[in-house]
Amino acid sequence: MPIDPILSHAGRRLLERRDFLAHAAEGLSGIALANLLAKDGLLLASDTAPIRPAIQPDAPLRARPPHFPAKANRVLMIFCSGACSHLDTWDYKPELIKRHDTPMPGADKLITFQGASGNLIKSPWEFRPRGQSGKYISDLLPNLAELADEMCFIHSMTSKTNTHGPGENHMSTGFTVEGYPSAGAWVSYALGSECDNLPAFVAIPDPRGVPQAGPSNWSSGFLPAVFQGTAFNTDQPIANLSTPRGISPTAQRSTEDFLKLLNDKHLMRNPGDSELSARIASYELAARLQLSAPEVSDLSRESAATHASYGTDDPNKFKAGFARNCLLARRLLERGVRFVQLFNGAYAMGEGVGNWDGHKTLKTQYEVHAPILDQPAAALLKDLRSRGLLDDTLVVWTTEFGRMPTFQAGANGRDHNPKGFTVWLAGAGVKRAYSYGQTDEFGYQAVENPSSVYELHATILHLLGLDHQRLSYFHNGTEQRLTFVHGRVIQDVLA
Amino acid sequence: MLLAKPAWLLAIAVWVFAAKTGAAGDIDFEQHVAKILVRHCAGCHNGSDPKGGLDLTRHATALAGGESQLSAIAPKDLDNSYLLKRIRSGEMPPPGKGQEVTAAELAMLETWIQAGAAWPRDRVLSPFDLTSETRAGRDWWSLQKPQRPTVPTVEHAEQVRTPIDAFVLSKLEQHGLEPAEEADRATYIRRATFDLLGLPPSRQEIEAFANDTASDAYDRLIDRLLASPRYGERWARHWLDVVRFAESNGYETNTARANAWPYRDWVIRALNDDLPYPQFIIAQLAGDQLGVDAATGYLVGGAHDIVGSPDIELTLQQRMNDLDDMVSTTSTAFLGLTVGCAKCHDHKFDPIAQRDYYALQAIFAGVQHGEREVRAPETEKIRNQREELRNQLAAVERRAQAAWLQYQPLAQVGNSSSSPGRPAVNALLNVDRFSPTRARFVRFTILATNASEPCLDELEVFTADNPPRNLALASLGAKATASSVFAGGGSPVHQIEHLNDGRYGNGRSWISAEAGGGWVQLELLEPATIDRVVWARDREGTFRDRIPTRYKIEISEAGDQWRLVAGGDDRKAFDPRAKSPELFSTEALPSDVAEQAQHDRSEAEMLRTKLEQISPQKAYAGNFMQPEPTHVLYRGEPLQRRDQVAPGAIAAVSPPLAQAADAPEAERRAALAKWLGDQRNPLTARVMANRIWHYHFGQGLVKTPSDFGFNGGRPSHPELLDWLATEFMAQGWRPKTLHRQIMLSSTYRQASRYQPAAAAKDAGGQLLWRFRPRRLEAEAIRDAVLWASGTLDLSMGGPGYDVFEPNSNYVKVYAPKQTFGPAEWRRMVYQNKPRMRQDAIFGEFDCPDSSQTTARRNVSTTALQALNLMNGSLMMQQAELFAARLEREAGTDGESQVRHAFWLAFGRAPDGDELDSARRLIAKQGLLVFCRALYNANEFLYLN
Repeated sequence: MPIDPILSHAGRRLLERRDFLAHAAEGLSGIALANLLAKDGLLLASDTAPIRPAIQPDAPLRARPPHFPAKANRVLMIFCSGACSHLDTWDYKPELIKRHDTPMPGADKLITFQGASGNLIKSPWEFRPRGQSGKYISDLLPNLAELADEMCFIHSMTSKTNTHGPGENHMSTGFTVEGYPSAGAWVSYALGSECDNLPAFVAIPDPRGVPQAGPSNWSSGFLPAVFQGTAFNTDQPIANLSTPRGISPTAQRSTEDFLKLLNDKHLMRNPGDSELSARIASYELAARLQLSAPEVSDLSRESAATHASYGTDDPNKFKAGFARNCLLARRLLERGVRFVQLFNGAYAMGEGVGNWDGHKTLKTQYEVHAPILDQPAAALLKDLRSRGLLDDTLVVWTTEFGRMPTFQAGANGRDHNPKGFTVWLAGAGVKRAYSYGQTDEFGYQAVENPSSVYELHATILHLLGLDHQRLSYFHNGTEQRLTFVHGRVIQDVLA
Repeated sequence: MLLAKPAWLLAIAVWVFAAKTGAAGDIDFEQHVAKILVRHCAGCHNGSDPKGGLDLTRHATALAGGESQLSAIAPKDLDNSYLLKRIRSGEMPPPGKGQEVTAAELAMLETWIQAGAAWPRDRVLSPFDLTSETRAGRDWWSLQKPQRPTVPTVEHAEQVRTPIDAFVLSKLEQHGLEPAEEADRATYIRRATFDLLGLPPSRQEIEAFANDTASDAYDRLIDRLLASPRYGERWARHWLDVVRFAESNGYETNTARANAWPYRDWVIRALNDDLPYPQFIIAQLAGDQLGVDAATGYLVGGAHDIVGSPDIELTLQQRMNDLDDMVSTTSTAFLGLTVGCAKCHDHKFDPIAQRDYYALQAIFAGVQHGEREVRAPETEKIRNQREELRNQLAAVERRAQAAWLQYQPLAQVGNSSSSPGRPAVNALLNVDRFSPTRARFVRFTILATNASEPCLDELEVFTADNPPRNLALASLGAKATASSVFAGGGSPVHQIEHLNDGRYGNGRSWISAEAGGGWVQLELLEPATIDRVVWARDREGTFRDRIPTRYKIEISEAGDQWRLVAGGDDRKAFDPRAKSPELFSTEALPSDVAEQAQHDRSEAEMLRTKLEQISPQKAYAGNFMQPEPTHVLYRGEPLQRRDQVAPGAIAAVSPPLAQAADAPEAERRAALAKWLGDQRNPLTARVMANRIWHYHFGQGLVKTPSDFGFNGGRPSHPELLDWLATEFMAQGWRPKTLHRQIMLSSTYRQASRYQPAAAAKDAGGQLLWRFRPRRLEAEAIRDAVLWASGTLDLSMGGPGYDVFEPNSNYVKVYAPKQTFGPAEWRRMVYQNKPRMRQDAIFGEFDCPDSSQTTARRNVSTTALQALNLMNGSLMMQQAELFAARLEREAGTDGESQVRHAFWLAFGRAPDGDELDSARRLIAKQGLLVFCRALYNANEFLYLN
C-alpha cells in the first residue's frame, strides 16, 4: 500500500526554517525544560558538566553524535528472565563438585529469598573446556558454549535485590523501583537512531509472554515517550499498526488528503508553533512504520539454511518462536535499530514454568528452558559474526541475578542469589575469550573485582561513546543518570 | 588563581579590611569568618564523614586537622595553618567545585587567625547556614515567608483587569514587550471549558457566550464552569498525577487494588466542594481521625511490593521503600522539596539533613499498606450485623467440627501390620484421637514435611469430657516450648507463643528453624484425662507448604516417662493435590449425627451468603499501628542503624515541628498535616498556587512545580508568585477563588498569537506575552472523542471500568481489551489505573505510569500516537458512532452533517474550503472516514 508523505509544503517550510531549533527548543515539548535551565546558568561549563542531547521535536530520533568516538554503534541485550543460574552455565566451580552434598560453611544461618538452605549441590550438567581458550562451560547450553571464544565474561556481577521484579528493574533501568528510564531509552535519547523508519529501541518479548517486570524493562520513565522501547515480536506485531479492515487503501489516502488540508489551515492560523508540524511529521513516520515493521518481521525471504540454523521450524513451538525472535533481532540490528532487548522467559505461567526461576526442580525446569534459548541465540551470534555486524554491535547476555550453590532445604532447586552471578559481553569493543572477576570457591559471592549493574551500564554507555557521568536528563530537581551517582567503566573488559 | 598574588596585594586587602572594621579585634565571627568557611569549605568538610577527614565546621576538629594531621587552623600562626596554605596554592576549594576564595576573603582569614582565631563556644557551622554558588542554605528564597508585594504601576493601566495583570505587564514593559490582543470569545470559552472541565463546550454554550452582552459575561461563565461537577473530575486527575495514585501494587505481581477508587472519589468531591487546602491536606494525612477514611488512600497510593520472603534484609528493604514513597511523595507534593535525596546523606543542594528525612519517616512509621473499612453512618449497624452472623457461623462450624473430630478413627500405634486407614494429613485440620489417658505433658515431634521447616498454627489438646475442653491454651496456664524457632525468633509472625494463643492462621504460628524437623511440647497447668490432639498448618487455608507429613505424638504424666499415642504411620500417604477435609461430610457419621451435619451445611451456606451481601465498603486507605522507634540509617541501608530520631519535619522550614520520640502514631500524622497547612510555612501556599498556575498556562511561574529547591527553576515573576500565595491564604485557601482570579485576568484572556519579535526575546514564553497553545492531555482527548460521538457517560463515582481483560494470575497479565461497550464509555478519570500499564490508545499521550509522582507531564509527539488514533479499535468504533450521530441529528444533508461535525470536533463552523473538501470526502468514502479524520486533526488535540 503506497503511502504519500502527509507533510505539506507549508509544514516543510516551517520545519526548514533556519531558526527552527531555537523555537523548537523552547516549544511545548518537555525537552525544553532542560535547555531552559541550562540557559538560566545553573550548569557549570566544565568537562564534568552534564550533557543533554539537543532533541529536534520533528525528528526526535535523528542520529546524534556520541560524546567521544564509539566502539559500538548498537546494542543487543539478551535478557534471561527469572534469574538464570550461573552455576549451571558459565561459572565452573570444581570445589562445588568436590564438596557435593555437604553443608556450605556458614549456610546454616543463611535465610535467602525462600528460606533455609540445604547442602551444596553440584550442577547436574558436566562442565568441559570449550573453544581455543578452553573456557569451562556446562553442557546445558552446548551451542552457546561453542562460542566461548567470542565471549567476555563478568563472573562477579552483583545485584541490589533478590526479588525478580525489582531485580529486572535494576538490570534494565539501574533502579530497583519502577519509573526510571531503561538503558535502551537512555541510549536512544543520547544517540537517536541510524534508521528513520523503525523505532530506535525495540523490546522483543518472549513467545511465552512478558518478563516479570513487564514494560518497566523498556520504559522511558521520565524521558519523553518517544524513547521508550517499542514492544513487538514475530507473533505479536506493534499494537494498532495496521489500518483497520473497514478502511480501504483509497479511503486511507482520501483521509490523509483531507487531514492535510485541515492541518495546513490550522498551521496557517497558528504560525510559529513547531509542535504542530512535529505532529504532522509523526504521521509520516507512522506511515513509514506501517510498511517497515511488517517488512522487518517478515522472515519469509530468509534462506532455508538460515531458518534451519536458528531453528524457526522446531517442533517445540516456544523454541521456534524464540528462534523467530532471534532472527527478528538480527534484522532489526541490520537495519540500524539502536538498541534491541531480546527476552528469554516470561513469568505469567508461574514460578519457573516459563522462565529460569528454578527453585524446586532445577534439572527438570532447565531441561525445558535451555533448548529454547541455546540454538537460536547461538545462531544469532554466529549470524551477526558472519555478517560483520559483531564488529560494531555490542552483545550483552544478562539475567536479573544468580542462584545459590546450595539446593533449598527440602527442594531440588536453587534459591535466588544476588551476591554473585555471571553476565557476558561479546562483539564491538570488548575482549574476546576473557573472564573478569570471580565468585568464591562455591560460586556464592563475588570475591575478585566485585562488579555492579552500575558498572555494567557505565561500560555499555562507554562502548557507545557515552560518558555515563555526563549523559543526563534534568528531572524532579536532579540531574538524572542511568548510573545514578554510581558506577565506573570496567576498563579490563575493553579490547 | 590566587597563587601568584603578590604579597603587597594581600597587605592592601588587610588594610582595606582593617580600615572598614576599625581593628582586627572587631572581627565578627558570624559576619566575617563563618560566611567564608561555609561558602567555600563546609560543603565537603563537615559531619561524620568529611572529605580528607577534615571537619571545618567545629572548632576542635578545625584545629586538629584531617588526614594530613596538620592543623588546618593554628591560632596566631599563619605559617602553620594548613588551611591557608591549601587556599593560597589554589588547591582548595578544588577547581570546578564552587567559587574561588577572593583575596579579600583570604586576607580576612589571615587576620582572624593572626588575631587568635576566636570561635564562639559550641558554634558548629553548617553548609545549611548560607546559600552559595553550589547549594541552597536556610536563606534560600522559597524558605522565606512570602510577603504581600505592592502591586506595581504600569504604563498601560487600561490593560490591567486584576492585580495579576499588573505584575505580568510590568515585566513585559521592562522587556519592551506587549501582550497579545484579547482572544475571541469562542476561543476563550473553549480554552476555559477544557481547562476547568476537561471537556469541550457545546455549540449552544459557545453561541450563548459569544452573544452575551452583559458586562459580567465572563464572570458568569467561570462561575458556571466552577460549579460543574465535571470540574472535580478534571482537576482530580492533576492531583492524582502528583500523588502517584494507581490501582495496583506495582512490581512484578502488579495485582489490582479493587478498593483504591474511594480515594479518587474523595479527591473529586473535595475539589468540587472547594475544600480549603489545609483541610484537604489533613484529610489525606489523618482522615482516619476526622471521619474521612477514604482520604488516607493518599498515604498508601504508591507501589507496594507484596512478594514475601523469610529473608529479613529483603523484608526491611521493602518496608523502607514503602516509607520512602510516603516521605518523598509528601515532601514533593506539598512542599516542593526533594527530601528523598536526603535518605542516604544530607541533601547535596538543599538545607535538608539526613536527620530530617528520618524525622519525616518517623511520622509515617506506623502506616501500613492495606484496606480498611470506610466508616459511614451505617457502618456501626453493619458491623454489628456481621458480628452476629459471624458468631452464628462460628457456632455452626464448631458444631460440625466437633462431630467430624468425634468420628475420626482412633490412631493406631505399635501395630505395624495395620493398613493405613486414617485420612492423610492436610494443611487445614488434623486430629489424632487415642483412648483417654491421664497426662500433663504432650510432645509433638515432626520427622518430615512436604516442604521447608514445619509450621503449626495452633496445637490443641482436648479433655475426654463432654463437651471436650482445650487445655492447651496459654490463657489456661499451659506452657509451650520448642526445639527451635524460625529465624532465631526474628520473625514476628512465627513464634512459639503463637502455638497455644487460641488464634489460627499463618500470621500467628510457630515454625521451627530445622528443615523438615523440630518438636514442640506443651505442659498443661495440671494433669488431666485427654483423648485427642488437634493441629493444622494453616486453618485459614492460605498456605499448604510446611505441613508435617511424618510425626509422632507422645504424652507423659510427670515428664519422665513418655508414651507414644499417635503418629502418621497409620495415615494414608500425603497427597499434595488432595483437598482439605470436608467438615460437613457425612461419611463415617451415625445417621442422626449425619442429619445434623446436613442441616449445618445448609445453614452455614446461608450465613456465608448473607455475610457477603452486607459487607461494609472497604478502601485501600492503609492501616495504622504504633511503630517501633525510627533510626537514622547509615547510607540508607536498613541494617545500618544509627541514632534514634523523633518524629518531626524539616528543620530549615519554619515553623519548628518537634514531637516526642514515642508520640502516638495518629498524632504524628495530624501534627505534620497541621504544620503543612500552617500560614507560617513558607512553601505550602506557594507550591499550590504555582501548581494551579501551571495547569492553567501549561507552565508554572516556577517551572519545576515539585522542586522549589536549589535545582529547581527560579520564579519568573517572584512578586506575582508571592501575591498569589498570600491571596490564596487570605481568601481561605480555596482553589476556586484562585481559578477565578487567574481566568478573569487579561493575561489569561490573551490570544495565542505567535509574535516573532517577542519570541526572539523570550522564546520560552515565560513572560506571558501570549497564551501558549498546548496539546490536550490523554484524558481530555479520550473524553472529547466520546463527547463528540455522543456516547460519553457522565455518571460519577464508584469502581472504575477496566480496559484490560479480567485475569487473576498471581503475576497479573494485562491484555488490552479489543472491544469496548457502554461500560467503558465513562470519563477516563474513572478508568482503572494499574501501575506501569497504559491504556492501549491514550496511554501513549504521556499518561504517567504512576510509579513516581508527576508534577508536569511530558508533551511528546510519537509515531505510535498517530497509529493509535488512526487504527485503535475504540477509535474506529467511536468514528462509527460519531457518524451515526451526524445522521441522526443532522439528517442526510451533507452540508448540515459537516457543519454539525465541525462544531462537535472543533467548536466552530467550517470555512468554504473545508466544507467542500469534507463533502467530497463524505460523498466518496462515507461519514465514518470523515469522522475518523476529524479525530486525527491537530485542531482536535490542541487548545488555543
